[in-house]
Amino acid sequence: MNEHGWLLLIPRTLRFESQLAVRHLRAGGRQTLLTVSAVAAGVIIVVFVTALIFGLQGRWTEVLTEAIPHITIRVTELTPMALADIPGVSAGAVSTLIEQRAPQRRNIENWAQVVAIVRDIPGVRVVAPAVSNQAFASKGGNPIGVSVIGADPDIQDQVTPVTENLIAGHYRGLTSEEIVIDYELARDLNVSTGDRIRLTSSTGAVESFTIAGIYSQGRGRGSAYITLRTAQSLYGLGTAINTIQVKVLNIYEADRVAGRIRALVPYEARSWIQEFPQFLSTLRMQTASAYLISGFSLIASSFAIASILIVSVLQKSKQIGILKSMGARRRQILRAFLLEGLGIALVGSVAGASFGTLIVYLLSLIEQPITRVGQQPEALFPVAIIPASIGLTMVAATVSTVVAALLPARRAARLNPVDVIR
Amino acid sequence: MPPVVIETRELQKSYFGKVTVPVLHGIDLRIFAGEFVAIIGQSGSGKSTLLNILGALDVPTSGTVLINGVDISTLDDDALADLRSEEVGFIFQFHHLLDEYTCLENVLLPLIIRQGSVGDAERDRVIRLLERVGLGHRLDNHPDEMSGGENQRCAIVRALANAPRIVLADEPTGNLDSRSGQEVFALMRDMNREVGVAFVMVTHDDRLAQAADRILLIDDGRMRQLDKEEHRVRTEGMR
Repeated sequence: MNEHGWLLLIPRTLRFESQLAVRHLRAGGRQTLLTVSAVAAGVIIVVFVTALIFGLQGRWTEVLTEAIPHITIRVTELTPMALADIPGVSAGAVSTLIEQRAPQRRNIENWAQVVAIVRDIPGVRVVAPAVSNQAFASKGGNPIGVSVIGADPDIQDQVTPVTENLIAGHYRGLTSEEIVIDYELARDLNVSTGDRIRLTSSTGAVESFTIAGIYSQGRGRGSAYITLRTAQSLYGLGTAINTIQVKVLNIYEADRVAGRIRALVPYEARSWIQEFPQFLSTLRMQTASAYLISGFSLIASSFAIASILIVSVLQKSKQIGILKSMGARRRQILRAFLLEGLGIALVGSVAGASFGTLIVYLLSLIEQPITRVGQQPEALFPVAIIPASIGLTMVAATVSTVVAALLPARRAARLNPVDVIR
Repeated sequence: MPPVVIETRELQKSYFGKVTVPVLHGIDLRIFAGEFVAIIGQSGSGKSTLLNILGALDVPTSGTVLINGVDISTLDDDALADLRSEEVGFIFQFHHLLDEYTCLENVLLPLIIRQGSVGDAERDRVIRLLERVGLGHRLDNHPDEMSGGENQRCAIVRALANAPRIVLADEPTGNLDSRSGQEVFALMRDMNREVGVAFVMVTHDDRLAQAADRILLIDDGRMRQLDKEEHRVRTEGMR
């Protein structure tokens, strides 16, 4: 479409201004390129920084939450409380009587019912009944402390992925005499699949297991996995369990779902957010930093744009005087220079977003070197390309550029033709 | 008698800085429709200042300017812009065409500023004017592709594009060689006769002034009309 063609699409009242803005941009050559580059550079920095920070956050959150339950349901434990904190007790009261603790439930007897209730709560993805406790693992030598989880392998795999981290053997189809242990425990005990090890539970019960599989998550010592029935027997729970693990669809909804669980069942439900409050505050700090860096980048590029446009207005001051002598109104001149700023902003934003996304995409293809057994290939830069974030960046860059263009535009509009036509 | 298109009463203009510099002292002036008036005077005598005030580009310190009977001191900024667009055309010493626009586009610019677009009939009228001044082959050329004389002819047509009643020309031949200057002046005179638009031309060229209908002399900030014989004698006396 030629210029006269597209001009017809512009409202009649803006045609002169639009045409002048386009002519200025075209005739500007290197100056236009410089201004567009300033906008694009700002957008590239913001796209890059946000993609990197949100990508890292996403990866950290994924690493943290993929191997743990998002919500853990346990029997509520009574915690000791200072006398003065008890409602109704007067300040300064002293008790010298040590009472025996009332008998407490330690286990979840009616777990099948609880599982059915929790499974129906919106946002819940997986509900895994389990026995979780401590034990000592040994193979002739010194016993090594280990966390034991007894659960149905098919369900447990959806809570803490074991099968996908297996180096050897199997987890699914685990029998009551088999155990899956992590690579570090296997190394410390000097055992491999098919060997037998002994578990001594916290209740003193001892059982021998054949190692069915060895896994590695690369995050320090992991748990040892046995079947639910075996764990109930090892810890003397009968048919009861002591924990229910829940995975939710949206990890950031875990608090809300945990609250709903607490309202429906008489047990304690703690989300991963409650378990790791520092993690979330760290994420917030990073997010704030990302926005701060983005804001400063856009402000810096706005100053650069304003400077270039001010010079442009000075260069065109004579032309502005001529246009005014031909009847151009102040607001026509103002709009022409604002449209020039808008044109720079739109081209710069699109170019910056495209180039920034390309850089981020290319970075995402770089993989880390494999440094440990069983390590899956991982990106060196775990970036997140978020279209909404890129869109927001483009809008912010456009707005800041137009605002930057306002000062030179007003200056142009106020020029007195007599002062500039000589 | 033709109607008055510009009238000034007791027009005064001073520039205020560290020292106040009075430029125009009580100018009373009448320009009639369709006449060609030359304003002469020494450099710094206030000719250009007067022209800027007559074209509503500058404001007087005191006194009244009436354009087509309207006191321009009563007009706001937008109304003054409209007045410049509809009633007045400017020609400067330098052509001041916009480099980004072709010859035809430069001439159409006053119409686009005023109404946003140009109809076919107006476009044809402007092209005919350009052909009339010998620029029919330069419609799509940019200013840097044309000679000084051609650019100034283009600027004359631009001043006439909105069919104004007054054209104010500030030394329109001052930047041209003698031959081009004569051609441009002849063209302005022709346009004045053909279109009937009043021309007020500031000039240092006494031969051009002699060819005008009237000659006004600004001397020491005051204006008086010279008859042609007086001007001729005065000019010869200065040689």
